[in-house]
Formats: sequence, C-alpha cells, structure tokens
Amino acid sequence: MTDIGLTHYLVLGAVLFVCGVLCMAIKRNGIGILMGVELVLNGANVNFVAFAQFSPTFQVEGQIFALFVIVLAAAEAAIALAIVLNFYNNHLTVDVDTAEELKG
Amino acid sequence: MFDVGAKPGLWFVWATLLPLGSFVLLLLAGGVRAAARASKNRGGYGAVFFDLLGGDQPGKTSAYVALAAIALAFACSLVGSLTYLSDHHHVQELQDEIATLQERIPEAKGDERARLKAQVDEKRHQFEEFEHQLHERWSGRYDWAYLWSWEHLQPGGPEKNPAPGTLLQLGYRIDNLTITMFLMVTFIASFIHLFSIGYMSEELDREVADHQVHTAHGHLHRRGRFGRFFMFLSLFCFSMLNLVLADNLFQVFVSWELVGICSYLLIGFYYERSSATNAANKAFITNRVGDAGFIIGLLILWTYVGTFNFEEIFARIRAPLSDGHNPEYKLAGQVVRVQPKGEPQDGRQTFVWTPDGSGSHVALFPVTDHLHGIGDQEEQVTEITVGENKASSWGVMPYWLLVAAGLGVFLGCVGKSAQFPLHVWLPDAMEGPTPVSALILAATMVAAGVYLVGRVFPLFTPESRLVIAYTGGITLFVAATIAIVMTDIKKVLAYSTVSQLGYMMLALGVGGWAAGLFHLVTHAFFKALLFLGSGSVIHGCHHEQEMTRMGGLYSKMKITAWTMLIGCLAIAGTPMLSGWYSKDAIIAQALGFAVVYPQHSLLFVLPLVTAGITTFYMFRMWFLTFTGEPRDRQVYELAHESPWTMTLPLVVLAVFTVMVGWGWPIWDAHESVLEKHIHHGQHYSVHAEIGHVGVFEGKIVDPMWHGVKKPEHENIRLKVLENHGWAGLLALGAAGLGAIFALSVYYFRTLDPAEAAEQFGGLHRFLAHKWYFDEWYSAVLVRPALTVANWCRAFDTRVIDGVVDSLGRATVAVARGHGRFDNGFIDGLVNLTGNAIFATGTALRRVQTGFLRSYILFLALAAVGLFAALSYFVSLVNAG
Repeated sequence: MTDIGLTHYLVLGAVLFVCGVLCMAIKRNGIGILMGVELVLNGANVNFVAFAQFSPTFQVEGQIFALFVIVLAAAEAAIALAIVLNFYNNHLTVDVDTAEELKG
Repeated sequence: MFDVGAKPGLWFVWATLLPLGSFVLLLLAGGVRAAARASKNRGGYGAVFFDLLGGDQPGKTSAYVALAAIALAFACSLVGSLTYLSDHHHVQELQDEIATLQERIPEAKGDERARLKAQVDEKRHQFEEFEHQLHERWSGRYDWAYLWSWEHLQPGGPEKNPAPGTLLQLGYRIDNLTITMFLMVTFIASFIHLFSIGYMSEELDREVADHQVHTAHGHLHRRGRFGRFFMFLSLFCFSMLNLVLADNLFQVFVSWELVGICSYLLIGFYYERSSATNAANKAFITNRVGDAGFIIGLLILWTYVGTFNFEEIFARIRAPLSDGHNPEYKLAGQVVRVQPKGEPQDGRQTFVWTPDGSGSHVALFPVTDHLHGIGDQEEQVTEITVGENKASSWGVMPYWLLVAAGLGVFLGCVGKSAQFPLHVWLPDAMEGPTPVSALILAATMVAAGVYLVGRVFPLFTPESRLVIAYTGGITLFVAATIAIVMTDIKKVLAYSTVSQLGYMMLALGVGGWAAGLFHLVTHAFFKALLFLGSGSVIHGCHHEQEMTRMGGLYSKMKITAWTMLIGCLAIAGTPMLSGWYSKDAIIAQALGFAVVYPQHSLLFVLPLVTAGITTFYMFRMWFLTFTGEPRDRQVYELAHESPWTMTLPLVVLAVFTVMVGWGWPIWDAHESVLEKHIHHGQHYSVHAEIGHVGVFEGKIVDPMWHGVKKPEHENIRLKVLENHGWAGLLALGAAGLGAIFALSVYYFRTLDPAEAAEQFGGLHRFLAHKWYFDEWYSAVLVRPALTVANWCRAFDTRVIDGVVDSLGRATVAVARGHGRFDNGFIDGLVNLTGNAIFATGTALRRVQTGFLRSYILFLALAAVGLFAALSYFVSLVNAG
C-alpha cells in the first residue's frame, strides 16, 4: 500500500464531479438536481483542499476558496430551494421537464 | 428780381404727378372692387367694399377724378407758366437792351465805340449771370440710380466723383418749349376728358352690347368699362407730361414706352374685337421697330458722351457759345470735327482740328463752366489730346457714330410720330374710341416724336437733318394722297394727321425749329377739334363712320358742323386762323432752304403741292358729311346733335383753333405771339446753332451771341425772311385751288367723283390701297417672317422635340432596366441574406429544448470537449 497522494484526492474529486454532473443531467426531480449541484461543488472543494495540502504555494488560498465554496453552496441551496418551492407552486410537481417555457 | 432759392418749376412736377395720382387711385379702387365682386352677394366686408366702390354701376366718379386731376394739372401749368413768363420778361428786356446797344456800335466812333463795347460786355456778363440764376430756379435733378464704379470709392463717394455713364437721374427743366407743351397737353386733355364723359357714357351700363363682336349667342354682352377708360387716360396724361418735363433722355425713354403702352391699351380698348386687338398689336410692334433705333441711339450716347442730360449732351457735342476768352467764337454751337494725328502714346491720342470740317471724329467738349474753344484764333487750341473718355475731360467720338445716334433717336421718333415708312399703324389705330384718337393719335402722343426731334435738335448733323426733312416730305405727300380716297371719316383724319406730322418733321429737317414746333401746337388744337367733331358725328349717327352713308347732316348737328368747318379752314391754312401762321412759317422755311440748296427743291415742292391736297380732302370730308342729299335715310333720320359735354369742348377748341396763332397785327404772319414765344426759347432750349434773327454789321445774327454763325445757315435765315411773302402767297394759292376743286366736285357737283375714280381707276386703286404699304410689308416682312417661323416650328417639332422625346424614351428604357436590376438582383441579395439567417435560426431553435437537463448535458459535454481540445493542444505544444 502506498501513501495516499495528490492523485487520489484528484481522482476522488473527479469522481464526485462526474457523479454530480450525471446526477444533474439524469435526475428529473428538482431536489435531485440540487443534490447533484452539491456533489459538483464538493468535488471541486476536494480539489481545492488537496492542492492546499500538497502545493506549497497554495496552502492558504486553497482553504479559503474551499470555505468560500461552502458558503456559496449554502446560499445557493437556499435560493435554489426557494425556486423549487415556487416551481412546485406553479406546476404542482418538481419535475423540471415540465418547465419548458424556454423551449425555442 | 426774384427769389433764387425758390423752385417754381415744381408747379410742373405737380402737374405731372396729379394724373399719376388719379391713375393710382382708380387702379386701386378698381382692383379692390374687382376683388370684392366675388362676395357681393355673400355680404360681409367684401360686399360693403363692393358697394362703397360703386357696386355694379359705379357711375361717373372715375371720370370726375381723372378730369379733376388733369384740370388741376392745367391750373398748375398755368401758374407755373405765368411765373416763368414773368421771369423771362426780364431776360427779354436785357436781351433787347443789348441788341439796341450793339446796333449802335457800328455808327459810333472812337471813345463812344469803346464805351458802348464795354457796356455791351457788362450787360452780357449780367445776362449770363441772370440766365444762370434762372436755370437754377427752373430746373432740378434728382439722382435715381448709381451704376457702380471704382471711382465711387474715392473720398466723397459718388456725389463727388461722378464717373461717366454711371448715374441715372430724374429731372426737369422748364423752358419755353416745355411750358408750351404743358399748356397744350393739359388743356386739350382736359377737354377730351370732358368730351369722353359724354362719348363713353354707354360704358356706364351694367351690360354693354358690342354689335361688332359675334358670339355663338348673338352679340357680345359685357360689363361696361367706364372707369378703366379714364384710368388709362390718366396714365397716358402722366406719361406724356413726364415726357415733356424730362431733362434727360433716360426719363424721356421711360415715358416714351409708357406712352406706347397707353396707346396699346387704349387702341385695344374694345379688345373683344379682333380688329382692335390687331390694330393695338400693329401699333405696338411698329413702334418697337422705331424704339430699337432709339435704344441704339441711347447706347451710343451713353457710351461716348457719358450722360443722358440734354444740356450736357449738347455741351459735349457742340462747341460752346463763347469760349471764355473770345466772345466772337467762330465755331460757336457747331459740331467740331477733328482728325487723329500720329500714333497713340501711353493710351493717349492727339487729335488735330480740321477747319474744313472733314475730320473723321467729333470733338467732345468737357462739361465745365469755362474753357478754351477749338479754333484758329489766339488763345484757342487746335490740338486736343484724349485719354479716357470722361464727361469732365476732352473726348472724341467717330463722326459716323454721332450720325448713327441721331438717326437712331430719329427712328424712334419716326415710329412714334407715324412717319414714313412706319406710318402704317396710325390709321389702323382708329379702332380705339374716338376721344382716344383725338387725344393720343392726333394731339399729343404722335406729337411726342416731333417734340423729341425738336428737343434733341443739336444731336442732328446736317446729314441727319436732311434725312429728317426727306422723311417728312415723303410722309406728308404720301399720307395726303391716301386721305383723298378714304371714305371712313376717321381714316381721313388719321391720314391727315400723318401728313401734318410730316410737315412738322420737314420743318425741323430744313432748320425751322420754331416753325415745326409751332405747327405742332396749332395742329394739336385743330386736329383735336376735328377728331372730336368726327366723334360727335359718329356718336350722333349711332356709330356710323362711313361718309358714303352720311350727307346732309348740317341741319341735324349745326354746332358740330360749324366747329368742324373751322377746323377744316384752319388745317387748310386760311389766313387769320392758327394753321395759316404755322404752315406759312414751314413753307417759308422750306422755300428758304430750297433757294440755298436748289438740289433739294423737292422739299419745297412737296409741302406746297400737299397744301393744296390737304385743302381738297378736308373740304371733301366736310361736304360729304354735312352737305348734299342724305345718302342713307336711316342714318339721317336717327342722327342727332350730341350733348353739351361733347359740344362744349368743340366750341372751346374751335375758339382756340382760331386764336392760338394770333399776334398783333393779326394779319401779319410773322407776328404770331406763340411762334415768337417758341422762337425765343430756341436759344435756351437747343443752344444757339440756329439763333434768332437780329442784324449786326449787315449780317443776320443772333442778337445775344453776335459770334459768327455758320454762313449757310445765315443764308437760309436770310432767304426765309426774303421769301416769306412769296411762300405765303404760293401756299395760299395752292390751298385755294384745292378748295375750289373740292367745292366744284363735292358741292356744286360739276364733276362726278365716281366718274373721276373710274377714269383714273389704277391711281384710285393705288391710293385706296394706301400705296400698297400693308401689302408690301406683308409680302416683304410678314410673310417671310411667317415662313421662317414655320421653318423654325418644323425644326422645333421635328429636331428639337425629336431629340427631347428620344432622350425621354431613352431615360425611360434605362430606368426600366434599372428597375429590373433593383427588383431582381439587389432585392434578391437582401432577401437571400434574410432567408439564410431565418433558415439558420430555424435550424438552431431546435437546440433550445427548454429542458434543463439537456442544457446541463450540453454544458458538460462542452466542458469535456473543451478540455479534450485543450489537452490535445497542450500535448502538441509539449511534443513540439
């Protein structure tokens, strides 16, 4: 067993990111899409933190960016949930495929 | 003796402006009435104006306005004339004093003689001073328009630096001729206005039937034009008076044209009749021919002499009366001819005096008070050097141009005074109302030509004067012969007028300045009388003008008959009537001329023979109209005497026809007061080329300027005096013969005129066709002009219109092609662009599914794609 290095973290981040993107692309449930967004943000966060750990020039910045992302995710979740609630009020469902007013 | 500062000449200016005021008033009132007519039934202000200005039947107000204006003008002229005469009485006294002193000089000896000479010099100096003051008092000049010149930029402006030929002025100058003309014109015009009130009364009606114009619905019915007639009369009076008043050719020319347009308007007064419009056109166009010459004359004078002012023109082209050093100036008042000498230097050419008068150029004298003359006496120059041609310096002009200027101005007079060969318009112009014939075509306007010849007399060189004399001679004979056979009463008078104008021209041409202008005045009175008489006859016979349908009218219209008889006697030259004095003077002058120049005897024979013819045709007219059996019962039965407004002018004019030539003793033809009055003005009006008669050292000279005159002229004057009696007797004999002949043919009927006409059929036809002038002009001028015009029209319709049309067609074709290109290609291109963009948009709209998930998918795939591409490039870079 080798030591856990940067690559592992990056792979973890990538896996989380892809899972998140897939979740957003596949899920029809609005809440599920929000979850996917959280995954994507966390995948990115893993990368920030990993770089902060392993890169000597990126120690503070990585951590601060990670904190920003967490704050941002919280704000985003609040707003997105409000959107979903409104969506539900209008459509009586959270199936995003019913929101096709923007169809060209 | 008088107030030098006062300007009594303004009386005449007022007299001129009064008819203008009347014209403007009538024009405005008539214009407003015409404009308001549309709303006469609609009420409101328009109807009020319409009713205020006379409504449908405006009455005689316009006539009263015009009559008041011209009568006041007569009053003004009278006041002005009396003032003028009292002024000139003093001049006359001085002149007489000098003449008496001069007569005493040859008898006196030694000291006495020297004393007399000194006295004469002093008196003459006094006289000059006096004349200068009079000139100031009786003339005025007002700047009208400056034509721009560099010299105006000099300090003082145009006033201080009058460049030659750049200033047009209006002005007046009163002399004996002016006041005579003013009194004559305003007096006769006043009575003709009065006469017209009666004669034109039909025009007062709301509807006038013109029996000479036929329309589809019978005779023409039109509104009466009473006011318009008097408006034109007023304009005419203003123009004529302005013409007489003017002190410069510019003003004369303007008035000349105004007079012309008035004659056009009045001759064509019945403009619905094609004969009237044709006559008006003929008069106007014939006068244009003459006026073309007038303009040429004006341009020559303007170019060379640099001024239009009469006095300045004369002062430039004629030598001064005294040259400031030498009162006995040999060349006084003559045209001085010079010859160029050597080559020009620095743009200056020297000219030398030719005593034999053969030089190619005429010396133009500077307009200054005091100068050296040209001549061969001490202190006179024989050479002049000429640079720029300026009014204030010596100048020259080619002699032939002076002749051309004179003939040009004379051509204008030929047109206006209906002289051969431009006389054809006047008889036709009888289409106008008869008062117009009397005022314009007999008494005043046609006299304007004669007046102008008299006014610019110094302009005429001996050659020009000979042309004038022969023109007059031919005219008087031709017109008189035509008058014999005319049967229209007004045509007889028209040709008689032409003939009498010819007398005046002839008199002027042979040097009888006073005689010609004297005849102008006397003729104005008796011809106005005759025309008004014929108007009365025509009015009384209900517009019958043919003498062949009259006869025996004496018992119906006694006043008209008697007054016309007086007119006939006067024009025939019956002793003691005005025509006698003036015709005698003319024939005496012609005889004097013929004695000095036997080769020009024709100039005496023609007027003499014509004097007989004149008597014949005048009496023929009178007998045919008033005596014998009535030839047309209907005309005779309906004939009546005219109302007082028409007979009063006849009586007054008859009185003046008798008296206007009188002097004391009245049986002496030399003693006519009027002729003497005109004669005294000659020196002042046209300077002293032809002085009045006085005796000095056995020579006939001007009593004032005893400088030596041109010998030939003295001769004429001498011969005139010698032969006056003979000339009078001969003229009387000729007139008597004519009268006897007329009496025997048309009263006692010893000869049948119809038979005579048959016997001399060819001659009769020739005369009845007016010497074929109209036919000849038609063949030589009108028809070729029409042919050329037709060619031009053909050229116009074929070539020019063809070019224009094909240009148009070509343009249309090009435009069509262009339209197709525009619709097809350019619009296609634009549409293509639009379509392409639309197609692209349609294709791309499918991407916009509206599904959130698909957007995310695209986003992800795009990110992956970008990443892959980036990696690929990075790997390329690394590998490179």
